[in-house]
Amino acid sequence: MRQFFPVEDLARDERFVQTNMAERIKDPRVPGGGSAKKKSSRSSTNKLTPDRHDASDRARGLMHGIMVGEIQALEGAGRTAHDFDAGDGSGDTIPFALKLDMARQAWDEARHVEISAKLSTWMGTELGEFQENTVLFEAACSNDPVLRLAGVNRALEGLAIDVFTQMKEFGDLAGDPFLEFCEDWMLADEVTHVKMGSDWLRKVTENDPDRRAKALEFQQVVDKLFSFGGARGDTAESSFQLARRFRELAGFTDDEVETIAGLDQQALVERKAAINAMQAAVADS
Amino acid sequence: MKLFEALGGWIATVPELDVKMRLGTHCYHHAWHAELWHKRLPELREMKPERLTQPANEAMVRFIEAMTEPEAPELTIEKLVGVYRVLIPHFIAAYTYHRNNTSEITDAPTIRSLNFILQDEFDDWRDGEMMLQSLITSPADVERAAAHQAKLESIIVEAGGIAGHGSIGPSTVVDGPQLTPEPTTPEPTTTEPTTEGDA
Ligand SMILES: [Fe+2]
Ligand SMILES: [Fe+2]
Repeated sequence: MRQFFPVEDLARDERFVQTNMAERIKDPRVPGGGSAKKKSSRSSTNKLTPDRHDASDRARGLMHGIMVGEIQALEGAGRTAHDFDAGDGSGDTIPFALKLDMARQAWDEARHVEISAKLSTWMGTELGEFQENTVLFEAACSNDPVLRLAGVNRALEGLAIDVFTQMKEFGDLAGDPFLEFCEDWMLADEVTHVKMGSDWLRKVTENDPDRRAKALEFQQVVDKLFSFGGARGDTAESSFQLARRFRELAGFTDDEVETIAGLDQQALVERKAAINAMQAAVADS
Repeated sequence: MKLFEALGGWIATVPELDVKMRLGTHCYHHAWHAELWHKRLPELREMKPERLTQPANEAMVRFIEAMTEPEAPELTIEKLVGVYRVLIPHFIAAYTYHRNNTSEITDAPTIRSLNFILQDEFDDWRDGEMMLQSLITSPADVERAAAHQAKLESIIVEAGGIAGHGSIGPSTVVDGPQLTPEPTTPEPTTTEPTTEGDA
């Protein structure tokens, strides 16, 4: 078995259809993707609530996205437990206790896969009905374990905290206790995983400020990319909120939370400017 | 340690979703076992720290290399055979031998860990065997599984088991028939600890 495993070789059965981030950004059906103004919702807010006419499809799509994200989180944690030798954290090594934490995360993610697959079935979705975006595993392919902690545990699992909080609320509003409580259980685990990322990133880069800065910079790139053009944020135009309290529990400082909120806002402004420019171009033609 | 690393690495390489999930769960079980030994071994006076994580011998190194070699998505049977039909049965034998031969009083902490670990090993072996039986569905699959098992088993026999010769006690095999028993001296009731190994 190779030391590092490329995203293109991720093994799936025939039900899955994969895509990557570049393809997804081009897709007009995705928030923040494509150029056309969305006509899919008559709602005054982008937030996922049960009273939307498209609530069922959006919730099913989101749940399927969560499930494939869990599969990749499982694979990514397993790879980090495998790819690096135990050592002092320098070079190609990671501390033994970090390897153990990654194995623990693999177990948690395995349960999340099972829970999300069952929730998807419960919501009337067939496995593979929606495309799988492989970006989470891409972030888990870095040769630097600290970048994996920043990109996967802090940025993408941080996003999972925001999304699960939203899904939990949706379950509550829709009167679906299965969805509500399953999301709550997974949320508790994700807070632990993000905290692992926060704690290990600080510990491993304790005496290496350059490495830490590079990791935090990478995290911000992933954070902004996954704001989906401001789909995450504190405004009514956002589909889901930044779960500030849970992020605090997961080891984010107040400054770090504000930085992410700023990136979300910036992504939203950029998306709106791009849409306006395209509309103006269409009107001129 | 080598076992949880291998299981973690293989998760991304197997297409079967049920196998993927089970490997994730078992990866953690074996990581926890490594954690228990990481704590316990330095407490044993006769263990030298520099020996604790060394493979027992060169054949054991070759065994781990051969067991972890399969990577392609169509080789799930080989991956599972190596773990669930070769390595874990050897773990169970070696752990059981050690548990039965160490002191119930002075080595009670080791026995307690061994009992927890053995419970996991039996459960995981059962899961692994069920996964294998779901994948082995033709005479050709049976041959594949058997051939890979034989290849790995030969190497681990050469290594003398997971912790080297004496993993499950002194060999009782004799060369040729012994018509007249030799005079015997009483067997010692305990043996050298055999907890070191690389898995
Ligand atoms: Fe998860
Ligand atoms: Fe997670």
